[in-house]
Amino acid sequence: MGMRELPSIGRRRGSIVGAVVLAVAVGVVLRSVMGGPLSGIVSKGALSSTLRLSVPIAFAALGGIFAEKSGVINIGLEGHLIISAFVAIYAVNTTGSVWIGFVAGVLASTLLAGVFAVVCLEFRADQIIAGLAVWLVALGLAPFLSTVIYGSVNASSSMSFERITIPVLSEIPVLGALFDASPPVYLLFLAVGGSWYVLNRTAFGRWVQASGENPQALDTAGVSVRRVRYASVLLSGVLAGIGGASFAIDLSQFSGNGQTMIEGRGFIAIVAYLLGNYNPIGAFFSTTLFAGLQTLQIQLQSGFLPSSLVQTIPYLTVIVVLALVGRTRTPDAAGDHYESGEE
Amino acid sequence: MTSAVHLDGITKRFPGVVANDDVDLTVERGTVHALLGENGAGKTTLMNVLYGLYEPTAGQIVVDGTERSFDAPQDAIDAGIGMIHQHFMLVDPMTVAENVTLGTEPRKWGGLAIDRDQAHRDVERLCDRFGLDVDPGAPVAELSVGVQQRTEILKALYRGTEILILDEPTAVLTPQEVEELLSVFEMLTDQEKTIIFITHKLGEAMRAADEITVLRDGQTVGTVDAGEITREELAEMMVGREVLLEIESSPADPGSVVLSVDDLTVADDRGVDAVSDVSFSVRGGEVFGIAGVDGNGQSELIEAITGLRRPHGAIELDDREITDNSRRDRIEHGMAYIPEDRHERGVVMEFDLVENGLLGSQHAEPFAGNGRIDWARAREHTEAIIEEYDVQPPNPDAEAASLSGGNQQKFIVGREFAREPNLVVATHPTRGVDIGSTEFIHEQLLELRNAGVAVLLVSSKLEEVRGLSDRLAVMYEGEFVDTVDPETVTEEELGLLMAGERPAQGDEHR
Repeated sequence: MGMRELPSIGRRRGSIVGAVVLAVAVGVVLRSVMGGPLSGIVSKGALSSTLRLSVPIAFAALGGIFAEKSGVINIGLEGHLIISAFVAIYAVNTTGSVWIGFVAGVLASTLLAGVFAVVCLEFRADQIIAGLAVWLVALGLAPFLSTVIYGSVNASSSMSFERITIPVLSEIPVLGALFDASPPVYLLFLAVGGSWYVLNRTAFGRWVQASGENPQALDTAGVSVRRVRYASVLLSGVLAGIGGASFAIDLSQFSGNGQTMIEGRGFIAIVAYLLGNYNPIGAFFSTTLFAGLQTLQIQLQSGFLPSSLVQTIPYLTVIVVLALVGRTRTPDAAGDHYESGEE
Repeated sequence: MTSAVHLDGITKRFPGVVANDDVDLTVERGTVHALLGENGAGKTTLMNVLYGLYEPTAGQIVVDGTERSFDAPQDAIDAGIGMIHQHFMLVDPMTVAENVTLGTEPRKWGGLAIDRDQAHRDVERLCDRFGLDVDPGAPVAELSVGVQQRTEILKALYRGTEILILDEPTAVLTPQEVEELLSVFEMLTDQEKTIIFITHKLGEAMRAADEITVLRDGQTVGTVDAGEITREELAEMMVGREVLLEIESSPADPGSVVLSVDDLTVADDRGVDAVSDVSFSVRGGEVFGIAGVDGNGQSELIEAITGLRRPHGAIELDDREITDNSRRDRIEHGMAYIPEDRHERGVVMEFDLVENGLLGSQHAEPFAGNGRIDWARAREHTEAIIEEYDVQPPNPDAEAASLSGGNQQKFIVGREFAREPNLVVATHPTRGVDIGSTEFIHEQLLELRNAGVAVLLVSSKLEEVRGLSDRLAVMYEGEFVDTVDPETVTEEELGLLMAGERPAQGDEHR
């Protein structure tokens, strides 16, 4: 969609090269480490785990797409994940309802996105700095609140989502995992398709793109750039919030040690949507690549390579793939402030 | 019959400046009206007032016989006024149809989706009605500038525009595209649309318009019938005094080769070759012109010659290879350079004229020598430039930023010519400069040529390159399509060359 011809050719070539190198690397690692059959890797359990690990990253990536396509780079996705994870656990514990907890987590993230939007759009703050501030605020605030409320940076709840198992379909080997999952996974499928539809088939989607490419064109066409950007940033908060809340409720806990349980997934989300060239479906598949590697990594930890080394595999792969894939077409006006009536 | 637009006594003041002073303008329905004037005459300000971007300090706007006041462009759009700015308001990755319908997309499924087929059909119907040739499904990024402009016109028509304002619409077009635009004007006025276009080009106003209103220094000089006025009269109205329009040039008397360029290939910022295998030479006492639509490699070629960009190939100045030599070396060996972007490369806006006059000579005798600058000499030097080139205001302590564009340009030209060069590289030397100063700069260039200096001239103004050059190369996509004699080549031939059409084999101009 709307990609220029040259970069898209370059991208396609880069993707192919990247995929081949990746496949070779994974193969080599597997053969040397395991030596045995790969039965444990391609299984229903592995796919199921990949999907679960995809949820926070993919939702955050979808949110990032909306914000950045509208011209506001939301680098604070990590912060949205952290704050929604904590608030969700807290609300689950206080209300005793998984779904109220989920909504509370989403609201917290949306509120944070609202502050970010005001700072960027009204006070013309630098988007990167404001985004980093969002992350740092959440990184400090969530463990702090946890300590105040629970006496520890870690908090747990006794409830989680009920799995939804679709009869018959869930019996399919491997792919059955798609039909035997917790609600956030189904929600993710809906969100990926829905985001693609909104961006490419609705008027709002066109406005988001125009706002990020040439805000003046949108402005002179009689659509408020400010409103479109507010809507997009808030939407990014909602989506990232769904990711964070789902992740925490799914694990029935919030842990606030170090980088918290989110562990950089918000930043990986940015990589995912850049790899997917701002296409929700592309971003989803980039996410599953990373999540799949994480699943693999967890399984490899039982091997004889040092586990801390194994843990770096997903991150190293992302760096390699990013370098190989090369150019993504960033919206022309991303990161720029726009004021109506200015030349 | 009421007029389409009647502006009565419009005054627009900005802090410290009166941009429009009691301006009147009447435009009849179904006509083409040119708003002619030099840069800074207040044309664009006046149109921005009509389009609701500026609120007038005083005066009346009457559209179709009804008095109006516009707070925002949207009000003007609602009143049937559309404006096409110099910089197009298009979203590159989107298609023509998406751009045309942006903000007012036809919907289906209760607003849940854009009706893309409907958008396509609407645009096609508009194209048919007004004889515009545009593919609704093409991404804007892949279109030529002329087609992008037509997309802008479609955008305005789609919004029900009756009165179309165009700001300098021909500045970015090839001669053929200008012809096409003028025929679009005809189709539009045949269907009772009204067109107002801003220009500073006399010839264009006379050809395209039914009536011409001339502005000077923010005031109306008068409105004339385009068919009943001569170029000379019009120029006099614009400038306020008699002007020599034709560039009078005596035959050249070329001497030995001063600049020679051999198989030069230059990459642009993205690493793509912008100039491929260009070779030519310029002799002392001749003007070698390069014509072409902007962005066909002229900038990169000039940057390579002036030492601002690394090329492949060889450049020789006075039989000495300088390809990889520094800017300083080039300046010291007699290369003067009038850059295309005076703010970026010609002057430092925050410096005063004394400091700016020193640029390029700050290291050398007589201004410096033993590690300190002789400011008294620098001031004398600047005063001499100001005096000789009639820079206004004549104040060496004025900041460059406080001068008008024309005066900045005159100052740069003066500084560069004062180097006593043997090669002058002049890129768009009169861009954004008023007619009076243009005339002066042209005279200076020819005077240098007559004194035996080699001049390499790049300009997108056809009249300028044709009038000044002794030989004229046409550049297209990084190559010289042909080198022609500017005396004998017709405008049409030039236009075809600029569009990349190669001349028939065995062409005699070579």
